[in-house]
Amino acid sequence: MNEANRQTLLASVPDSFDKGPDWLRTLRTRAAETLRQQGLPTKRTEAWRFTPIRSLVDSEFTRNDEEGPSLVSAVPAGVRVRSLAEVLQSQPELLQGRLDFGGEPTHFAALNTAMFRDGLWIDVSAGTIVEAPIEISHAGPSSSEPGVAYPRVLVTAGEGAALTLIETYAGGRAGQLSNSVVEAELGRNAKMSHVRVHESAGLQIGRVDVRQDADSVYRSTVVTLGGALLRFDVRCLLQGKGAECQLDGAYLTDGDDHVDHHTLVEHEAPECRSGQTYRGIVSGKSTAVFDGIVIVHRDAQKTEAHQENRNLLLSDTATIHTKPHLEIDADDVICSHGATVGALDQDQLFYLRARGVPEDFALAMLTYAFVESIVDRVSHEPTRARMREALLSRIPHGDEIREVT
Amino acid sequence: MLKIQDLHVEVDGKPILKGINLDIEAGQVHAIMGPNGSGKSTLAYVLAGREGYEVTKGSVIYKGQDLMEMTPEMRAAEGVFLGFQYPVAIPGVSNIYFLKAALNAIRKHRGEDPLDAIDFMKLSKKKAALVQLPDELTKRSVNDGFSGGEKKRNEIYQMAMLEPSLAVLDETDSGLDIDALKVVAEGVNGLRGPDRAMLVITHYQRLLDYIVPDVVHVLINGQIVRTGDKNLAKRLEKEGYSEVRGAMQL
Repeated sequence: MNEANRQTLLASVPDSFDKGPDWLRTLRTRAAETLRQQGLPTKRTEAWRFTPIRSLVDSEFTRNDEEGPSLVSAVPAGVRVRSLAEVLQSQPELLQGRLDFGGEPTHFAALNTAMFRDGLWIDVSAGTIVEAPIEISHAGPSSSEPGVAYPRVLVTAGEGAALTLIETYAGGRAGQLSNSVVEAELGRNAKMSHVRVHESAGLQIGRVDVRQDADSVYRSTVVTLGGALLRFDVRCLLQGKGAECQLDGAYLTDGDDHVDHHTLVEHEAPECRSGQTYRGIVSGKSTAVFDGIVIVHRDAQKTEAHQENRNLLLSDTATIHTKPHLEIDADDVICSHGATVGALDQDQLFYLRARGVPEDFALAMLTYAFVESIVDRVSHEPTRARMREALLSRIPHGDEIREVT
Repeated sequence: MLKIQDLHVEVDGKPILKGINLDIEAGQVHAIMGPNGSGKSTLAYVLAGREGYEVTKGSVIYKGQDLMEMTPEMRAAEGVFLGFQYPVAIPGVSNIYFLKAALNAIRKHRGEDPLDAIDFMKLSKKKAALVQLPDELTKRSVNDGFSGGEKKRNEIYQMAMLEPSLAVLDETDSGLDIDALKVVAEGVNGLRGPDRAMLVITHYQRLLDYIVPDVVHVLINGQIVRTGDKNLAKRLEKEGYSEVRGAMQL
């Protein structure tokens, strides 16, 4: 690689697309046109108001050879994992209408759609319940060149199917950009538990789009362990009656980190339930953003939607922007939302100290408990243990907490 | 063991304790009785080292050391225990794990090796049985979802685990029915011994039927107005605080 191959993200988008099936070329062409018209977001773009992407938009990147992600677990029985490029070559009709079902992609999602070369298709057929998690890894290249990758993942779960997907975003040098899109299509009564750990030092812009049929359940647990610049968007479309989604997240930031979590739940069908619980520990000079939206459409009667964002602000120089909000067009609904930014509870701290726990250890215990409650909701025990371990590795006194737990 | 001399304490600039004198010897149980707002809980918190309580005058000497100079955890390490009137719930922090951290910090201070997991669990089972605290509650988050009685039993269980030299029990009887009160009192009585002193703070005489004190003090408006034996508590119960206050012409 050399500097001659470097381009800005926008300049790298081709004018025309000549590979793949017609429908894909149309999709990519539309995405490219949208990008040419809209450009990439700026500070004036409402949904990107707090995300400092100016330098990223202006920077030049080399296209990485490896797109990722790679499969790092065994493929459990009943699951098929295939290369998107291979399927697009041999059986493109299987993917038609399944990429970009979220509608017109914009900004970085459009960029991924225009640019992705490969990715994974994880398919669990109807009635198949898979206990063992499927794990994929997005490991950035070790090169210190400013590179970009466009990982793409499609998950399809047939009627009554169940799976657990673990995604890890690790490695990645400063200056490496991962602009990923994960889409999931859950059939009637399907269940997906989606665990995602962000621990990359690189630049990360990730999007998850979930489409849910009746009585399906999607549970997302995101653990973000810092990040120079991380922007994560998850969107759930509750399209079938009785569908349910639970979006949980924990973020720990320090130094000059900027992490930005956005959720969007659209209740399109009646009798669906959604919940969101995001908790953050924000230290140093870092910035954390939580922006959560719940939209209840007119026909989505008997919706139940809850949304909560709680933050511990551990330094005077850290910043938190939190904006949970609801847009409700139906009248028979139960909805709640709330956000808090605060310090640790002094009564709890005193209780622990009065029993003999040294102050700094007591602070660490309370800090850990605050985010551990998010990880505690992951039902697969080995996965839960790994996520606890990831948190402990970032919390002061993590080793001592590990000893007593 | 504990010598309090002319202790004055302010909270938010308002005087609460106005010259307390108290001398507790090892092996003794002292009771402090008083109406609401007399300063009972303030005294308990000052001894445990809670922030926000300013000592403006006087001294507290514990085992020959200036207690007021110590952090709360240092006091605990030196053997001071506060049984809280309202034990706080701490979701996500397991009762037993935090207690292990506390006990091992205290043992370290005494120059003892930490207890290993097996010995610790054995000890916990034994002490939980003392106050009939179900094993399952010892493993739950601290006081999270506990009933009033369970919280108080948890306090005494923790005290039994930590084996303090000086236990300050702040209204340990409040919110307990008579059966729970007996269980808690038995737990406390089981911990009485020649090397241990206790300061039992209560509004009602009832508790003192079960934890019989050596000395009873009456605290009114930040001052100890009467000191006597267990019969003083009985008199108070019959005549009420206003009588005592009137008799003292305060």
